[in-house]
Amino acid sequence: MEIEMRSEPMPKGGAGPAAAADGLADLVEVLLPGEGVWPSGKSVGVQAFLALRLLQERGRAELARVTAAVIAAGGPLASLDAAARIAVVRRFEAEEPALFGLVRDIAYVSYYENPFVAEAINAQGHPYDLRPHIKGYPVPRFDLARDTPRHGRGRYVPTDAVRRVDVSALDLTSDATQSWGLKR
Amino acid sequence: MTQNADCDVLIIGAGATGSLAATVLARAGLDVVCLEQGSWVEAGDHPHYSGDWTWQRRTNWNSDVNKRHHPDDYPVESDSSQVLMWNGVGGSTNVYGAIWPRYRPSDFRKGDEHGLQPNWPISYEDIAPFYEAADRLIGTSGLAGDPAMPPREACPTGPLPFTRAAGRLAQSFDKLGWHWWPAEAGVISENYDGRPGCNGCGICNGCPRGSMSKFSMSIWPKALAAGTRLRTHARVLKIETGRDGRASGALYVDRNTGRTAFQGARVVIVAANGVGTPRLLLNSRIANSSDQVGRNLLHHTLVSSEMWVDEPIESHMGYVASVIGREFAETDVSRGFVNGFQFNCLTGTSAAGEVAAGWVTNTKAPWGHDHHAWFERHFGHGIGIHAIGDDLPNPDNRVTLDPTLTDADGLPAAKLHYAPGENDRRMMNFMLDRLVDIAKAAGAFEHKLTDYRDEDGIYRTPAWHMIGTCRMGTDPTTSVVNGWNQSWDVPNLFIVDGSVLATGGVVNPTPTISALALRAATYIRDNFKALAAGGRAMAA
Repeated sequence: MEIEMRSEPMPKGGAGPAAAADGLADLVEVLLPGEGVWPSGKSVGVQAFLALRLLQERGRAELARVTAAVIAAGGPLASLDAAARIAVVRRFEAEEPALFGLVRDIAYVSYYENPFVAEAINAQGHPYDLRPHIKGYPVPRFDLARDTPRHGRGRYVPTDAVRRVDVSALDLTSDATQSWGLKR
Repeated sequence: MTQNADCDVLIIGAGATGSLAATVLARAGLDVVCLEQGSWVEAGDHPHYSGDWTWQRRTNWNSDVNKRHHPDDYPVESDSSQVLMWNGVGGSTNVYGAIWPRYRPSDFRKGDEHGLQPNWPISYEDIAPFYEAADRLIGTSGLAGDPAMPPREACPTGPLPFTRAAGRLAQSFDKLGWHWWPAEAGVISENYDGRPGCNGCGICNGCPRGSMSKFSMSIWPKALAAGTRLRTHARVLKIETGRDGRASGALYVDRNTGRTAFQGARVVIVAANGVGTPRLLLNSRIANSSDQVGRNLLHHTLVSSEMWVDEPIESHMGYVASVIGREFAETDVSRGFVNGFQFNCLTGTSAAGEVAAGWVTNTKAPWGHDHHAWFERHFGHGIGIHAIGDDLPNPDNRVTLDPTLTDADGLPAAKLHYAPGENDRRMMNFMLDRLVDIAKAAGAFEHKLTDYRDEDGIYRTPAWHMIGTCRMGTDPTTSVVNGWNQSWDVPNLFIVDGSVLATGGVVNPTPTISALALRAATYIRDNFKALAAGGRAMAA
């Protein structure tokens, strides 16, 4: 993470700061709407963390890029109805996938660091602590009688039992396996 | 330049192996100085106590040296790998996960087995007592009696909790008829050696409680109590040699004052990790008559999966590793490749934000109105699995010096190149297919795989393991050190970090690196007079 040591001027040509801040909040509202016990991203202030973390990660110009990308996709969002907002954000995602991905990920991480959101997780029946290291979680101890494996499977080759295997048919000096991994 | 009085033993690097060597040698009454370019990492410095620890571990506490830009670090240019490294007291144990499995006997005999890797100059039996000694010093947990491994002593503390994720995985492996065993960990399950047992918080990237063995908390107090003099912010620029070809000490810069100093020593130990050590040797132009320094970089073959099951398993709780699967750990050429691999099965991420923003496979929650339903379905239901295998050495996979990039003190940066070979690629295909088998056996409602290849097809492994770059051997023309970690070229120079591993095994290497460091330090202790007098105390 590059932490900027000086304040840079806002790049010219972007929206004014008030409009830009509102625009970022509107974007967060589309990404993380409120529903049931879940507060919206906007209501827990994700946009403030998003702005700060974009600044820290990429510099101030990145904030203007986000605003510009939303506008290029049909924004600003403020004057649009719900369906149109979603359509604009979808276009942003399609046209600027890397930038959008960064915004989305920062928004998600920031959202789930919020105490009210942690409360919502607990409301689902999951014990979830934003700072679990302090008290830990109540995980039952290993029970030797219950948890020890009884399958008896597994083997190893002792040192003096290592034998030569025949690799002549494997053709490992080739470079044949070019199609590998998930693209096969 | 300041000229410090000569010491008996100079150790370069205060990470895991430097601290172990210092403990052994200082306890023997030797005058030990350790130079560390980084600083102490206090418990309160870690992000674990902050509500934004998720963000911090992706940024300023990222285990990748190139993603956090810490002033203690030096640049590592890589065309492939993400580089796990922490420069400071305790080294990378400040950010590691401490899964603690051992090598197996055949790992030391790959030359006999197929000849595509060298035999080690030592056997499993040579290192086994030092595994036990290291476990007692470091504090580990686990369950003895695994039929897939040689017999071992009981771990100092019993196994960590058998989580619901572990239970679900065990059922799946049973269904497949595959081996599994509770994971061994460099984490204490109960209070031990003045440190508290694991509290199951799940933030297993270092541990400021000290339940996970952070060596600045578990080993360094012992080394300091025994009289080791540790100098932090002391970046070594060069190891000097005399006209007799022996190491005379090291030139270093005090990063606080900018002044250079020379620390003379009778024996010099390098403990600067699989990247830092070859970088230092190459910059010093020593110990490289074989041209093997920096070559044969091993990362392990690594592919991974995530799966999500209907059963709520609260997989954000508890130590991050759950079970280890050793079904495929030995060579079986009918699979189409040599060597084996194991499954390092995890629980889930302890961070809700990572469930949504991506964890092992970088799977993302949808945005918009589907987000919360997706999160409710996935949080507390996920399990991660790494398949980790023994990659074949390639002399072109290597650490070199960057021709232009330097660190803050003008020292050339390390440059890494790594690409998996034919055998490695075949193995990873097989591993991916087996990960699918596990997901199916678990009845997962969803699973995702990752091969760590980017959009251009380049394998960008999260190289948690950087080993093999100053390998141990029996032949001075194909190895850098002998079976006692002693340089072939410079008889009073020893290398005790992961760069000496001749093969990678199928496991996380820190237990083996630690055991080897203890063994080498014991050898230096027992032969110090001969080594200091100028002789080559070659018991091996």
